[in-house]
Amino acid sequence: MLKDNLTKALAPLGLEKVADGDYAKTGYHLEVAAQPDQMAGVAQAMLDAGCFLESFTAVDLMESFDLVYHFASFDELCRTAVHVPLGKRKGMPSISQIYPGADWYEREVFDLFGIHFFGHPNLKRILLPEDADFHPLLKDFGATQGND
Amino acid sequence: MEHAAQFLNSTVVHMLVGLIGVIALVSVNALFLIWVERKVSAHMQLRPGPMEVGPHGALQSLADAIKLMSKELITPDEVDKPIYWLAPIVVFLPVLLSFLVIPFSQTMIIRDMNVGIVLILAFSTLSVLAILMAGWSSNNKYSVFGAIRSVAQNVAYEIPLLVTVMSIILMVGSFKLSDIVAAQSQTWFIFIQPLAFLLFITCATAETNRAPFDLPEAESELVAGFHTEYSGMRFALFFLAEYTNIFIASAVATVLFLGGWHGPILPGVIWFFIKVYALVFLLMWFRWTFPRVRFDQLVNFSWKILIPLSFVNLLITAFVLKLR
Amino acid sequence: MIELYGIEEKTYTLNLGPQHPSTHGVLRVLLEMEGEFISKAEPVIGYGHRGHEHMAENRNYQQFLPNMGRVDYLHALAYNQGYCMAVEKLLGLVVPERAEFIRVITAELNRITSHLLWFGAYLLDLGAFTPIMYAFDDREHILDLLDRITGSRLTYCFYRFGGVPVDLDDEFITGTRAFIQRLRSRWVDYDNLVTKNVIFINRARDVGLITKDQCVKYGITGPNLRGSGIPYDIRKSEPYSAYPLFDFEVPIGSKGDIFDRYMVRLQEMEQSCRIIEQALDKLPNGPIMAEKVPKRIKPPVGEVYQAVETARGEFGIYIVSQGDVKPYRVKLRVPSFANLSLFPELAVDTLVADLVAILGSVDVVIPEIDR
Repeated sequence: MLKDNLTKALAPLGLEKVADGDYAKTGYHLEVAAQPDQMAGVAQAMLDAGCFLESFTAVDLMESFDLVYHFASFDELCRTAVHVPLGKRKGMPSISQIYPGADWYEREVFDLFGIHFFGHPNLKRILLPEDADFHPLLKDFGATQGND
Repeated sequence: MEHAAQFLNSTVVHMLVGLIGVIALVSVNALFLIWVERKVSAHMQLRPGPMEVGPHGALQSLADAIKLMSKELITPDEVDKPIYWLAPIVVFLPVLLSFLVIPFSQTMIIRDMNVGIVLILAFSTLSVLAILMAGWSSNNKYSVFGAIRSVAQNVAYEIPLLVTVMSIILMVGSFKLSDIVAAQSQTWFIFIQPLAFLLFITCATAETNRAPFDLPEAESELVAGFHTEYSGMRFALFFLAEYTNIFIASAVATVLFLGGWHGPILPGVIWFFIKVYALVFLLMWFRWTFPRVRFDQLVNFSWKILIPLSFVNLLITAFVLKLR
Repeated sequence: MIELYGIEEKTYTLNLGPQHPSTHGVLRVLLEMEGEFISKAEPVIGYGHRGHEHMAENRNYQQFLPNMGRVDYLHALAYNQGYCMAVEKLLGLVVPERAEFIRVITAELNRITSHLLWFGAYLLDLGAFTPIMYAFDDREHILDLLDRITGSRLTYCFYRFGGVPVDLDDEFITGTRAFIQRLRSRWVDYDNLVTKNVIFINRARDVGLITKDQCVKYGITGPNLRGSGIPYDIRKSEPYSAYPLFDFEVPIGSKGDIFDRYMVRLQEMEQSCRIIEQALDKLPNGPIMAEKVPKRIKPPVGEVYQAVETARGEFGIYIVSQGDVKPYRVKLRVPSFANLSLFPELAVDTLVADLVAILGSVDVVIPEIDR
């Protein structure tokens, strides 16, 4: 079972939480919580198990960020959600060397939230103009800010 | 009275009348072909095509021509002005001059030169020069690309065209177009040399930059290829040259393979035009059916398949003629 | 830069501008070329960024429904479905069976229109001007059918939380059945005109190969993935709605070239026809909306990720709720974003003509990438 394999693979990393998810309510089979510096290990374990990076985004929780990675597999149904708390004004190591697909996702998070990714080959804005000076999905950006 | 008759019979008058006739023919032909193309393409695509202007849109091309002629002649700043201005003229004149030697009927030929077919082939090569001039002078990367592709394509497809025409000339023994037509009074050459006909039609499609070989004008890749920077009357000249080229290519194919103006009952001229327009329809049919051939495949096709085939055809023709 | 007999050769930069007939939307590709060969291709996106995810945080759940039809306007009903299912999961709503069937029928019809449009537009990129007319003719029939019950031709907003608002009528059912008969007779035409055309085959075979490794590393989904031989279709792998009740196949390719992706899409249209027929045959009676749908949609605190299979791949919607009438965060995971991020790797060492062919075969819709 992929879920058991993943639980075993993630065990040596010493993560905060590796628990079963409530699929009917959340759509996850496995819920993982990790620290920013552990993320590279988690990503490598996921890639070795054959999972692909389904989605990556950030949530602005006012005092901190919550980075959410979703992994799934083509072979067996098992969705893993990895939550990584990140303080404001902190950076996050990039996983684009492990998952090249994460390149654009990290650029998008940088563009919309301002989170910096260390080791990213090309961290520039992707959706907004290159010379924009705001990050629109931050909670203190406001609903109508930017409309002049 | 004798002086008057001699005057009317002289070559000068003959040529003047012919020239005016040709210009009239070219204009009307272009307008007609553009309308036919739009209608043919429309019906193949399950739609009616132009219907508004005139009965079934017959006056649509005239309206478009008037519109194009009334547009301002814009010259972009960065172009190489002399060459930019010359290119449309250089593309159009040789095509016009090719009409000199085409036998529309037994008597309707402006000047029956000894080197008729060679003249037409030489002039068709000049249009390549014009495309290169247009693309280069436009000072635009897309145009240069289109021009380069066009030159490579035209050079590649000239060779099998020439060799195929040579096999016909071998059979007739003369470059005069009226002789070639006369030699087909019993059987048309298409039945004697079907391979040559296929080769000729393929090369003619490529020489006139028609689909599936229309890469130099590929809209979806290069915006408009070598004539991206041309608008108004200059663009109209390129367009006119293209459609007249199609007519010339079909006319040459008719003379070489379909017996020229030969045909029962109806006068020669009518048969000639029927055959030419049948081939034009065939070329249009190609355009609306096939996707575009990729550039390297196009060039490979010519060098690796068409040229060997045309040489094989020539050798067989020579062999058979020797045996007779 | 190459030093050749003391002459420096530089690469040549060409811009496939935001306005271009073949880029299917407002996409800019910066090309570095050596002659006709591409050495580097960098897509530049964001020209159509409208801030959908920001809008989600400033609207009620119901007010955000119409946005979903505008993210990918070609398969809008699947996005509607994904969003509705996500919110229904948060609320714990159960959708009645008839509504699920209606959702499946309309979403599959929408999938056929999306694939037909791709088919026509792709052949247009390759220089064939006629197939798009035939494909759009077929598409018009579907748009008329869907217009009858949803009220829209393109940007649908048809599903509601708990079901669908309008029921199918007899005219729709007979019209759909008649249309499927007609469409099946068209496959022969498309086969003869395109699939068997030697010029098309030469442009599509062995071009634009996507390997299985690339699929995993980039998160490729949809026909691009299935063309490379991986049989992952969310309707089968993570079934939702009424899909478990239907018998259909997941077409896959073998090599991962353009021709395989083309065949997968064509065969998917036929499989969609099968699903629609079975759904119409088995359509149960019953209500079309769940019984207790709250007037104020206020999901409890929590988060949900819902994935659906759209014409382009996996659409995933991630909603974080903090118990308010407005979502706290909505992330739209769109398939074209991941699919396009593979494009720079696919484009290296190809010709410009192939570049356009590869981009078209990946089937990206820029508005969904830009959101």
